[in-house]
Amino acid sequence: MGKIAVYCEIEQNNNSLKDVSYELLSKARRLKKEAKKMNCADNDFQVVAVALGKNLEKSSLENAFRAGADYFTFIKDESLENFSQTAYSLSFIEYYNTNQFDMIIFPATYEGRMVAPRITTILETGLVADCTGLEFIEKNGKIALASTRPTFGAELMATILSKKNPQCATVRPKTFDIEYCEIKEDYLNFYCEYNLKYPINETRIKLLRTFFDSENNIDFSNSKIVLAAGWGLYTGKDREYFDKLEKIAKKVDAKVGASRKVVDLGLMSKSCQIGQTGSTVNADLYVAFGISGAIQHTVGMKNSKKIIAINSDENAEIFKYADYKIVADAKKVIDDLIKHLS
Amino acid sequence: MNIVVCIKQVPDTDDIKWTKENNLDRSNMLSKLNEQDEWALDYAKKFKDKFKDVKITALSMGPMQALETLNYALAKGADRAILLSDKLFSGSDTFATAKILASAISKYIGDFDIILTGQMASDGDTAQTPVSLAQMLDIPDITNVVEIHNADKNGAIVSQKLDNVINMFEVSSPCLIAVKNECKEKYKPKIGDYIKAQDSKIEIISAENLDLAREDIGIIGSPTMVYKAFRPELNKNTEEIKEDYVQKIIDFMVKVNE
Repeated sequence: MGKIAVYCEIEQNNNSLKDVSYELLSKARRLKKEAKKMNCADNDFQVVAVALGKNLEKSSLENAFRAGADYFTFIKDESLENFSQTAYSLSFIEYYNTNQFDMIIFPATYEGRMVAPRITTILETGLVADCTGLEFIEKNGKIALASTRPTFGAELMATILSKKNPQCATVRPKTFDIEYCEIKEDYLNFYCEYNLKYPINETRIKLLRTFFDSENNIDFSNSKIVLAAGWGLYTGKDREYFDKLEKIAKKVDAKVGASRKVVDLGLMSKSCQIGQTGSTVNADLYVAFGISGAIQHTVGMKNSKKIIAINSDENAEIFKYADYKIVADAKKVIDDLIKHLS
Repeated sequence: MNIVVCIKQVPDTDDIKWTKENNLDRSNMLSKLNEQDEWALDYAKKFKDKFKDVKITALSMGPMQALETLNYALAKGADRAILLSDKLFSGSDTFATAKILASAISKYIGDFDIILTGQMASDGDTAQTPVSLAQMLDIPDITNVVEIHNADKNGAIVSQKLDNVINMFEVSSPCLIAVKNECKEKYKPKIGDYIKAQDSKIEIISAENLDLAREDIGIIGSPTMVYKAFRPELNKNTEEIKEDYVQKIIDFMVKVNE
């Protein structure tokens, strides 16, 4: 019986699992089903959810089973109350040594990206970063995890295999859909708590203080609509159309993003930059105003559900990423929008 | 204080060229120093200017072409530059790369206080090599650093930014710090710096100089392998809206907000 482990991340402030955990569990269950159809010897897999911390919300546990876990292990210890990359990695390894996996899928969150390279380095195995696709393929008569990821600013996709077990990958949140299924009432029989024998006390790193970065922060993760400002909004002298776009955003409850060029010129603050060196946006609706569509930008927005691009150049790169194309001066569109909305 | 700055020469992603077969045309692409690594050099220089006894070693792995990058690092304030270059190194994934870097640091640099790196390289985008390197050297690491407030022989005080939260840490040396924000004190080398840099000879280290087996490095030493590479197809059925587009945009917005 093969084992696919999913590293489940606990939200520090409320002890519940982050949604990405359910996304990965559902994906793991789909992979498990895919394996059954493959003509390989070892095509039987179990999905094992593994979480580390001090406390875990009960409802999260149920959700994890509904999302796809066959087993759930909670590595529980006082020392895991606050996240520490070294303590979490070594504690995971302590458990791993009692129960090995064939594959481990990590979330490509800050936490996942801090612990996964440490864990795989200790296990002397490979790790594929920031995957957008996972599938099973047959390799030498065995089932292998094929992880696909964007590289070169998403200009090139690479599918990567691991020569060693466990085969590991990190996956960005919102890449896979959560599918909840009915579960048996006795699911708690498949839950176990693991108590650490060798808790780690990381004394080399001391947290001095934590604060919110209020002025320098735009959280795009929960915004349904993002309106993005590009160079095409610049009149050559002032911020007129950037201000107007912000006005529209307020009316329709949207967030304003910007291309690198606009940020570099100081027309918009660095905190709203979208793209390779800025934020990544998965909005329900993304409207690009006068953005040319350099890779550096599109890598951060192209996974939005619906994309409308407005550009006066009908051959602009941005249109390749758009569901709806509007060939027009973005400034004029903004003026018209304001008229319509007032 | 000994600071090691790991730097990488990367293809300029604003200048990507393709062969007829849809492969990356690396030979015709411009190369540049990875932007975040330049910031790491700036931070090192900041502390060199602040304290007297700071020695900066710039370390890079890559083809001989990467000598340019190390020359630039010398002009930017590095005292010593090391290039790890060997055909046997090529094809190394993040694990094998970290192994080579760790081996070179242990053998040729020895006692260091801080390793500075960029958060990620713009070509690979993995952000895994620094963390892997820290694990191999058994030192603590702080990634996603937006400011290094202080650094001395005992350690460093840094700010790490995760979305809208800033964590200020004190980390004891030896440690690794990966930066993702530019240093306020930037240093642009002047002509005199380049001339002075010519006095320092860049040390070139090949595979046989390191205490690593052939099986530890390059494609053989990499636990991952590329199965296939392809250009993503966008497959978007883009629909042009020619009339009433303002009303249509508003309709979309209303629908999403419902």
